[in-house]
Amino acid sequence: MALKSAIRNLRNNPYLLFVRLPNLLSLLCIVVGVVWLLLLPLNEYSRRTYISENALLPGQVHAYFTGSEQNIFRGYKKELEGLLNDGQARGGQKDEAEVTAAVSDKLQSILQAAGLKVATQKYEYTSAGITHQGENTYAIIHAPRGDATEAIVLVAPWMTADDKLNLNGVTLALTLARYFKRWSLWSKDIIFLITPDSKSGTQAWIDAYHDMHPASVQSLPLKSGALQGALVIEYPLEHRFQTLHIVYDGVNGQLPNLDLFNTAVAIAGGQMGIGANLQEMWGHDDSYKHRLQTMFRGMTKQGLGYATGAHSSFMPYHIDAITLQTKGEGWEDEMALGRTIESLCRSLNNLLEHLHQSFFFYLLMQSNRFVSIGTYLPSAMLIAGNFTLMAIALWMRTGYYPETKPAEPKDGKTDVAEPKDMKVSVEAKTINIAERQLALPLSLVAGLHLLGLVPLWVFNNIFHQYFTTTTYIFVVVGIILPLILAAILSHGLGLSKPIVPQQYHLIKSFSLLLLGLSLSTLATLNFSLSFMIGLLCAPLSFVTRVQSSAPVRLATSSLGLVLLNLLSPPTVLLGVCGYMGVSVEEVLTQAAFGWDVWGLESGVVALDMAHNYKGCKE
Amino acid sequence: MAIDRRKIAVFGAAFVLRLLLICIFPSLPDLLTGRVEVSTPVSSFKRLQEGLFLYTRNVSPYDGGVFHQAPLLLPLFALLPDAKSSPLPTAIFYFLVDLLNAHALISISASGQSVQSRLHSAVRKHVRWDGVSVAALFLFNPFTIATCLARSTNVFTTSGILFAVSNAVGGNSINAMLALGFASYLSLYPALLFIPLVLLCYDRRLQGPAPPNSTSFIVQHGGLLLATVAGLLGLSCLITGNFWEFISATYGFHLLVPDLTPNVGLWWYFFIEMFDSFREFFLGVFWLHLASYVGGLTAHFRSQPLFVITSLLGIFAIFKPYPSISDASLFFALLPLYRHLFPLMRYTFFAGAAILYSSLLGPAFYHLWIYAGSGNANFFYAITLVWSLGLSVLLADVIFAAIRDEWEQENPERVGLKVRQV
Repeated sequence: MALKSAIRNLRNNPYLLFVRLPNLLSLLCIVVGVVWLLLLPLNEYSRRTYISENALLPGQVHAYFTGSEQNIFRGYKKELEGLLNDGQARGGQKDEAEVTAAVSDKLQSILQAAGLKVATQKYEYTSAGITHQGENTYAIIHAPRGDATEAIVLVAPWMTADDKLNLNGVTLALTLARYFKRWSLWSKDIIFLITPDSKSGTQAWIDAYHDMHPASVQSLPLKSGALQGALVIEYPLEHRFQTLHIVYDGVNGQLPNLDLFNTAVAIAGGQMGIGANLQEMWGHDDSYKHRLQTMFRGMTKQGLGYATGAHSSFMPYHIDAITLQTKGEGWEDEMALGRTIESLCRSLNNLLEHLHQSFFFYLLMQSNRFVSIGTYLPSAMLIAGNFTLMAIALWMRTGYYPETKPAEPKDGKTDVAEPKDMKVSVEAKTINIAERQLALPLSLVAGLHLLGLVPLWVFNNIFHQYFTTTTYIFVVVGIILPLILAAILSHGLGLSKPIVPQQYHLIKSFSLLLLGLSLSTLATLNFSLSFMIGLLCAPLSFVTRVQSSAPVRLATSSLGLVLLNLLSPPTVLLGVCGYMGVSVEEVLTQAAFGWDVWGLESGVVALDMAHNYKGCKE
Repeated sequence: MAIDRRKIAVFGAAFVLRLLLICIFPSLPDLLTGRVEVSTPVSSFKRLQEGLFLYTRNVSPYDGGVFHQAPLLLPLFALLPDAKSSPLPTAIFYFLVDLLNAHALISISASGQSVQSRLHSAVRKHVRWDGVSVAALFLFNPFTIATCLARSTNVFTTSGILFAVSNAVGGNSINAMLALGFASYLSLYPALLFIPLVLLCYDRRLQGPAPPNSTSFIVQHGGLLLATVAGLLGLSCLITGNFWEFISATYGFHLLVPDLTPNVGLWWYFFIEMFDSFREFFLGVFWLHLASYVGGLTAHFRSQPLFVITSLLGIFAIFKPYPSISDASLFFALLPLYRHLFPLMRYTFFAGAAILYSSLLGPAFYHLWIYAGSGNANFFYAITLVWSLGLSVLLADVIFAAIRDEWEQENPERVGLKVRQV
């Protein structure tokens, strides 16, 4: 009964129902969303990881990669070192291309001598006026017990993700190739891929493997079956290492199956006794703070969606991949890394079907603790939901709630109850449904969102030297354009009829609806990005016209404008760059490279957001 | 003259927009053709190509088990240049079909049957959009554009239905039956529209000089429809040679729903999950359910046969065995004729938001299921439920508005009053 009367009270008070309540609910949504995320690292909300796919049997086999293989490793390393030093010593006399060719020949001859089928692939990408080119070398061990329908990939890039020479990694790959070839137990083909760098080489190879490559990339002369998993080896150190760092973030926030990560952790930590770290958290003490920090680092990487290593390129093709990086100074040598990889390959070799058992959507907060999508998704959805809520409230407000306070406030209480049949009673009050003027708001919102394509096109087509200038131009345009639009809309300026409050609400309603729509779609694809954009856009829900005396109004609205401009995408970009100490040019070059080569999509989203801002500032 | 100029502008803009889309994004038509939301097994252009390939090599087009569309489409498309090597002529052909459909819509709107018919006159008659606006809403509807670019053969069924209606409201009942026969021949389900359509023709005839006898009128037109379909079937028989083979590959395919490729409808998931022994029973139930709306709606809205057709098209878009967004676009095409009902509708925003949500989330979840491999069939099915919910809410809302309109007409003193359920 109390509830009923509360609802009746609500209906009698339109201001509360249409203005206060939605604001309150949206704020609640945002607060709950953020608090939800902060609760995740607690033991009650996160879970311990476990191997879901029984076929993997991690660490159940003995790894035999020891002893005499080390001599082979040293031999190969000497040969490669010799070639590289030769090039360096003569400096100006021998150019880089010649060295590369000599090294490539050496790789091919070593792999051929080991009895593998070898092939090469040349590629070239141009992005923002910079050309990335190189040659991939790869070799295939045909499975003695298989029919060449499935394969595992081992990747050793010459340059690691941090641009260090990965000599040990490449040598280890060669040694493993020779070693694996002698085993008769492989039921999947094993492909050894040596790429010049971590960014474009694997992408070119994997695109060509699936015949999706652009014209500037050569086709692969030699192929195997469907790829089941990929491991990237990075050992750029000249000394023994302490722990393994497992990198798992893919392009556009896609993640590999959690089973692969768990297997790597189980083998490295359990079988080999090497610790496994993630997200560059070296001294992880399993405290709440460290868990939260790990999770935030993971979310940032996922949200930005850039490739964090050579493995990232595999993810869009539904190939689970991770990078194993050696870190720290300790007593583990290349043989330990080799055994880890051997054991991982044996586990992958056991797979009866593609990894599918475990989670694809997760947030890791320790090498053995995670939350799955069902637990974390509500927080992003709540934040996206707040925009939809506001949109609905604004829509209803335009229909029922008269903008100018009428003499009799009860006029607002005019929604039509649902008569499911014709048994209706009639009240003696007239319906006060305002017809909505949809044309202008709809076209304005659609137009502004289409305008978002302009910066996208510009940033992906100009040369990298001009990036910084262009960003500043967009900041200025971003400040001025909404003001001009607002002036045109509110005063007409002879161009159009002045906007009525209802249309203002409708513009905001549609913008927020679209924002909520895209954020909730995005949340299913890239949770972190959706969450970040949602938080940045949160003030948009509460932007409103201030109705008070002129000076106060001026002050508050200009304050709001400054705040919104501070949160608009170009400013955020500049701010973050300034904070992190990287140049805007570099970031944007990366982004353009991402768009051209990896098919990065997060940029589009950010630009779309920019125009939501403009729509709402009016 | 001014009206004509607007029409030319809208048609021209629609044509140029489509042309621009395929020129700027040459891969767009093939992408859309592959989307399950746009192409169903009975309307896919890819499958048509397969049938065409077999047909031009004198093999029965139904041999491969891929092609399930009416055989008369084959000689038609055999005349057009190969869509693979020169896609433009086929695309332009589809653009023109879209424009023809829009033209039919304009004549439906111009007749004013949606607001004022023999037995019914809406309360808010003056609140309406003119034909060109209705046509523009149809031509610039993203669903229509997607269907057109995907070259789905559903557009021919759409034309059949729209021409049947436009001829019926124009009083040309024979042509209406011919067009309906063509639509039914292509997709079977438009035959369910016969009763409201014949009532529409009858009402229109009664307004004319020589009122006919109702029974003989209905029998005559029913016979005409049957004769049209029989004639088209005869022609098809000449083309394919084997009568039963094509009947079972086309209409059998429509009726028995053997292909459970995902689509935006509700059948596929249900029939995948079902035990085989119950399949026949539920096939009967589903079809009965679909057909049962015809009687109820026709009886209730006897005075507005055009509204019955509109709401039936909405129901088909939800409950058909192989629905696609093209069915929804046909429903959305006829809705603006009922502009006068819009002020009475209550949940447009929610229905619109649900449809928008599902049209964004649908492709995303399909991607997660099929390409990323990180989702599963339930993701996509959940979204098709939301899509159907959005359409149902919209449909129920229109029907509510129509009922309210009739009620206001009966009780003129209570127009605009607030009602509350007792």
